[in-house]
Amino acid sequence: MAALFRTEMTKQWRRPRTYVALGITVAIPVITTIAIKTNPPSSPSGGGGLGNFAIISQATGLYLPVLALRFMSRFLLVILVALFAGDAVASEANWGNLRSMLTRPVSRSRLLLVKLESAGLMAIIATALIGVTGLIAGTIAFGWHPLNQQTVSGLHLFHIQANAFQSTSQLLGNLGLASGYVLWSIVGVAALAFMVSTMTDSPAAAVFAGVGLYIVSQILNNISSLDPISFIFPTHYMDAWTSLFEGSGPTGDMLRGTLLQIPYVVVFGTYAWWSFRRKDVLS
Amino acid sequence: MAPREPAIEVAGLSKDFGDVLAVDDLSFRVDHGQVCGLLGPNGAGKTTTLRVLVGLLRPSAGGVRLLGVPMTPSNPVLARVGTMIEHSDFVPFLSGMRNLRIHWQEAGAKWSDANVDEALAVAGLGEAINRKVKTYSQGMRQRLGIARALLGRPEVLVLDEPTNGLDPAEMREIRDLIRRLAARGATVLLSSHLLSEVEQVCSNVVVMDRGKLVAAGTMAELTAATGSAYFGVDDVEKARQVLATHAGVRTVRPQPPGLLVDLDAVPRSDLVAALVDADVGVDTVESTHRLEDAFLGLLAHEES
Repeated sequence: MAALFRTEMTKQWRRPRTYVALGITVAIPVITTIAIKTNPPSSPSGGGGLGNFAIISQATGLYLPVLALRFMSRFLLVILVALFAGDAVASEANWGNLRSMLTRPVSRSRLLLVKLESAGLMAIIATALIGVTGLIAGTIAFGWHPLNQQTVSGLHLFHIQANAFQSTSQLLGNLGLASGYVLWSIVGVAALAFMVSTMTDSPAAAVFAGVGLYIVSQILNNISSLDPISFIFPTHYMDAWTSLFEGSGPTGDMLRGTLLQIPYVVVFGTYAWWSFRRKDVLS
Repeated sequence: MAPREPAIEVAGLSKDFGDVLAVDDLSFRVDHGQVCGLLGPNGAGKTTTLRVLVGLLRPSAGGVRLLGVPMTPSNPVLARVGTMIEHSDFVPFLSGMRNLRIHWQEAGAKWSDANVDEALAVAGLGEAINRKVKTYSQGMRQRLGIARALLGRPEVLVLDEPTNGLDPAEMREIRDLIRRLAARGATVLLSSHLLSEVEQVCSNVVVMDRGKLVAAGTMAELTAATGSAYFGVDDVEKARQVLATHAGVRTVRPQPPGLLVDLDAVPRSDLVAALVDADVGVDTVESTHRLEDAFLGLLAHEES
């Protein structure tokens, strides 16, 4: 299993698309930092629709990764995670290398598990890079400060609750929790991309399936007539993590959002495993 | 002592893809050390058979045994089998060497056990082995594919169109290689469209058409049973009379100083015996048939 994982990670690290994907996760926080530093938003609407987050970022560099996470979680991170998951098996089939792999005594279940692990690891690295890059760029630009009355004085804020003030350790802890939650809230979408990846020779089709599920879920989530059932859409609780920085701490919505992904992962994952074990490999 | 299991045994194998029956109740065996050619026109089911053989496809009925082991996907016996199925495809952004290494190591095998020097000698890629595969020509990929199949000195080699994309000199190298492998005791099953290639390297032949077995046997059996032969004799007229009435002879045509005889499932030795019994002196017997005649004859017979 370890040997198979090592060979899989060798492929990941020598693949140009890995560097493009991870480059995006580094570039967005840096660009965001430069933009806020050079053109500070003076009102909540000036923060690109992200309200107080963009303004508070000027108070402490520790808030910059929060803003970057907010930017990225809305779409780019979804695409990247769907890319890692959707590419996992379909790209091997696309190269014609899958049949070569399966003529070695490697169990298909084990191969699938290793593909899942490597896609998961790449998704974790991508998410972590947003936070780490944001912290470094933010600290350089705005310093390493807690969020308190003193550091926000002088900023044009609509409103900030007193319990939203946080020490540096609280901010770091909440950033870690938020990053984990954001990543987990995309897992249902990634599971569909992974399932399709086991069924097709086209990595693009698998990635599109995952991104498509995200888009459809977001659209349905915004139709008020569907409110009674909107809690089953995989992205319904996707933004619940922002409560960590708005003074309310972890909420019931975060718990519900966490649990919501489980049936998607179980259904899509089980079908992927079941069908791949029986698959006739023609590509 | 119990007889040794065949290296490859296909028994009652059928494989369908929905409405399409690609392989229909196919049975044959390849013994240890044989080089067996799998022949058939396009769509005969050759590649499907080879894919079932190495566990890429599940049979609809019947089964396959490799080195005595009933074949299932990912079976451990695959560690003793080298394969090259259809095109030789690799991870394009990795070097040829890295591709070989990954292929070998993903099953947990030690790189030091791969006999890589021997495989690299076959690939003959020189410094290009360290270049990315996406820069390779088709011939280079094909050679790398053969090298990949040879890693670890497998006991059985399953090669699908191994000389596709190679130039004549490279094709000759591969034929020599297959002969050397067979001399070393390896069993080789190869499919090919090139009948001359099969004729030159194979000891045995399996002919398929539309998923079914048409014929199987040694090369000598297959080519002796059909085709034509030239008989150099001392009495042409008497020889013509003897041969024209012999069972299994289709036509007899004078071709001075002898006769050209079209055969239909009769060994040449039977005809020589008949001529000698009739006091006709036989100077020479030359086979004018080739595998191509036998192959086309078998397919024509199957059609009718």
